[in-house]
Amino acid sequence: MAKPVLEFLEVAKRYGDFNAVERMSFTLSAGEFFTLLGPSGCGKTTTLRLVAGLEEPDAGEIILNGATIASPRRGIFVPPDKRRMGMVFQSYAIWPHMTVFENVAFPLRVRGEPAQPLRKKVLAALELVGLSGLEERGATNLSGGQQQRVALARALAYTPTILLLDEPLSNLDAKLREQMRSELRALQRRLNLTVLYVTHDQSEAMTLSDRIAVVRQGRAEQIGSPVEIYEKPASSFVGDFLGRTVVLEGSVRRGAGGFTIDLGGGDRLSLDENNHASFAEGETIRVVCRPEDIRILAGGAVGPNQVKARVNEVAYLGDRLEYTVGACGRTFVIFAGKYERYPAGADIRLAFDPAHLMLLKLDP
Amino acid sequence: MTTIAATAPAGIRFTRFRRAEFGALAFFALVMGLPVAFLVISSFNIAPPSKEAVYALDNWTRAFSDPGTLSALWMSFLISITHLVPGMILSVAMAWLIARTDMPGGTLIEFLCWFAYFVPDFPLVLAWILLLDPNFGFLNTAASALPFVQGPVFNPYSFWGIVWVHLSTGGVWFKVMLLAPIFRRLGATLEEAARVSGANNLTVIWRITLPVMLPGVLAVAALSFIRGLESFNTELLLGTPVGIYVYATRIYDYTRHEPPAFGEATALGSVFLVVLAILAYFYQRRLKGKKFTVVTGQGYSTLRVKLGKWKRVACAGCLLYAAVMMLLPLGFLVLGSAMRRYGFFHISAPFTVAHWQNMFTDPLFFLSLKNSLTIAAITAVAGVALYSTVGYLLACKKLRSAPALEMLTWLPWVVPGILMSLGLLWMFLATPLRTVLYGSVWGIALALTIKESPVCTQAFKAAFLQLGGDLEEAARVSGASWSYTYRKILVPLVAPVAATVGLISFGNALTSISTPVLLYSPRSRPLALLLLEYSFSGEVERAAALGLLITAIVSVIMLVGRRFVLPMTGNISQ
Repeated sequence: MAKPVLEFLEVAKRYGDFNAVERMSFTLSAGEFFTLLGPSGCGKTTTLRLVAGLEEPDAGEIILNGATIASPRRGIFVPPDKRRMGMVFQSYAIWPHMTVFENVAFPLRVRGEPAQPLRKKVLAALELVGLSGLEERGATNLSGGQQQRVALARALAYTPTILLLDEPLSNLDAKLREQMRSELRALQRRLNLTVLYVTHDQSEAMTLSDRIAVVRQGRAEQIGSPVEIYEKPASSFVGDFLGRTVVLEGSVRRGAGGFTIDLGGGDRLSLDENNHASFAEGETIRVVCRPEDIRILAGGAVGPNQVKARVNEVAYLGDRLEYTVGACGRTFVIFAGKYERYPAGADIRLAFDPAHLMLLKLDP
Repeated sequence: MTTIAATAPAGIRFTRFRRAEFGALAFFALVMGLPVAFLVISSFNIAPPSKEAVYALDNWTRAFSDPGTLSALWMSFLISITHLVPGMILSVAMAWLIARTDMPGGTLIEFLCWFAYFVPDFPLVLAWILLLDPNFGFLNTAASALPFVQGPVFNPYSFWGIVWVHLSTGGVWFKVMLLAPIFRRLGATLEEAARVSGANNLTVIWRITLPVMLPGVLAVAALSFIRGLESFNTELLLGTPVGIYVYATRIYDYTRHEPPAFGEATALGSVFLVVLAILAYFYQRRLKGKKFTVVTGQGYSTLRVKLGKWKRVACAGCLLYAAVMMLLPLGFLVLGSAMRRYGFFHISAPFTVAHWQNMFTDPLFFLSLKNSLTIAAITAVAGVALYSTVGYLLACKKLRSAPALEMLTWLPWVVPGILMSLGLLWMFLATPLRTVLYGSVWGIALALTIKESPVCTQAFKAAFLQLGGDLEEAARVSGASWSYTYRKILVPLVAPVAATVGLISFGNALTSISTPVLLYSPRSRPLALLLLEYSFSGEVERAAALGLLITAIVSVIMLVGRRFVLPMTGNISQ
């Protein structure tokens, strides 16, 4: 594997008593689309700003292409203007006193680019984001989507080592957001850009990223491909953050019948022994699955990996039905197609798919 | 593309940043803290300035055993509170009429208030003397022509005369300017909800509008009261001749003794500082509690109170007030400057341009004009340079000493001009700064620059806060150094604010009397103090001409500023 473009090693950043980033580590390889995903206030934007050089770390090291750019221990801090990054801010930060052209030309001008190649590069960048012909427009006379494109063009005009994107789509309306998302992905592929992306929107992260780091309270809780972290969340926080989950509790039984989880009240789930060797006999564990992996069946005798349940409420959502059901002493929400209809109060069965069950130890 | 150009030592940008922070703190501590410290220390010094210091309590005992001292302090309070009450009632009414009713001409009246606010007060006081003086005042002369009237009806040299003139100078205009936006911001829904609930116009005003506005109104009242305490010009012209002293004129009086009684002046100043500190403490506490009762609402009010046939009456009332309190005195200032002998209408050829001619041929006038313009230019440039830096430091949230710095920038707002100059005077006299600053235009400009601190700092801070950090950081990440970012991004973006701040500082520096009054010498005398000297020597016609000229210069500057600078500010803020 090629040497990573960016190594972010055990970095910490404190604001007074608040640990914004706590011993965070990750690496970025060339051409990778890497996303920091997490709720607001989790430290993901601070992480991005540490990479950009807008914040100074309190501990750890940041290495860009083999050269240390920040290391408090060794007294190294490269200011942001010397890091060759490109950044798109959440607010876009379009300079209101400059035209579109001047905004995009700025990173080239500060590097003393001669007029002819500068003009060519700016026009190329504007064409790339689909803004050709608007270069003399005042930067404030643009729609939100156009401002976002100007910000992107500005970050790309000077081929940056890493493109830093701070929630660039969050200020756009839903339709535009989807369009920009696919354009961004195509652009990244085409130019083979190394991207560090920050968002709190899990579907954005899932569709765009090569790898995702789920960030919680200043730490990377799990790093992996979108499929990995969705299918095999390392903690219930990660599982929950990536979408609705159904959580049950049960105790482990190892016996002649294989590996089973006793959910109480006669309900049990049977799983493949080999994948769950780490759990001890009798240990209480958490069973996590996604609502879409649970099927609703009409009431009747329960088969393997099925449990009895009762419909508490039904809500009609147009394209599907939302059932609030009670099972195993808990209440949770699952969805079903509009042709499977059960009235409130009906007895039903829920069928679990053993391949999509995640077993977790109780959080300490 | 694989190497990084330079590895700089840690926190290079923060070192520079810290240096700026410490610089700003040191500057303010030096020019604001030091004069106050000198003031307090010197109040124990019974030796005259520039002699060996002898410390004793004599000044304090003398200041307090002199019944004049306490009565001067009391008079300051009394005058301030007496013109505050009618001033508040009038300005709340006017602001309400402008912002919340269908009264015609609201924009014009608001503009008149804005204009009147910038008319310097000293010429207005002169104008009221021309109108009300018992011997030659026009209104008294006119009244004596009526039957049954014997002797002068009006007397401006009295407590009520001073109160009246205050209502004409600062009293109402300033408050309307502050209150009208507050009234306008009140959410329409609050009043609409009350109307829908069945309340009539009066009930809405009494039960909803006024209670909701109360914190804002009280804040303006408190601000006006403290400003009223530092009043100097009106009391100097109208109170001193008949022995009505406020503490500011009393301090001035002490310094004019032969030999100057600096000790008593300083003790009195220190007493007042204590009083101010107590007041400021309560004001701050009061504001802190109220700060978050922010009156918000969806959009501006569409529901304006319909005044019916009263709307013309209301408009006429406002215009009449502006006419009587502003246009009438200004008109008489014109008249006064153009009469051979003011008040003598019956002599042959009563009108003349001789006073204007004399003024424009007087070398003293040209020296003062040059001094004034120099002082105002230095103040404006220094104010913009200094307070843009301070505003920037306060706006970016990395400052460790932000509360201390912010408090220091507010200090000149509570410390009256004459006290500030007294402190500075001591500082100039006691330090090597004396050679450069004592009695020079630089010393006066320094004092005026300090005096501008609160407004300028807040204007720049607000501007930088509004810009947000992103625009600056985007430039940094794009590869621009801090100084390049400052020149190409920050300076152009705050240019309109800088221009406004510069113009206001320039205008204030031209008209201020109480700040330079203890600091000037014949070679650094500005126009405003020439005006003061003219009016003391009884040359009312000449004083009127000069007062009118100063008023005209300031008006032109402010109108130009409003015409060109405000639209620019509007563009940026969109």
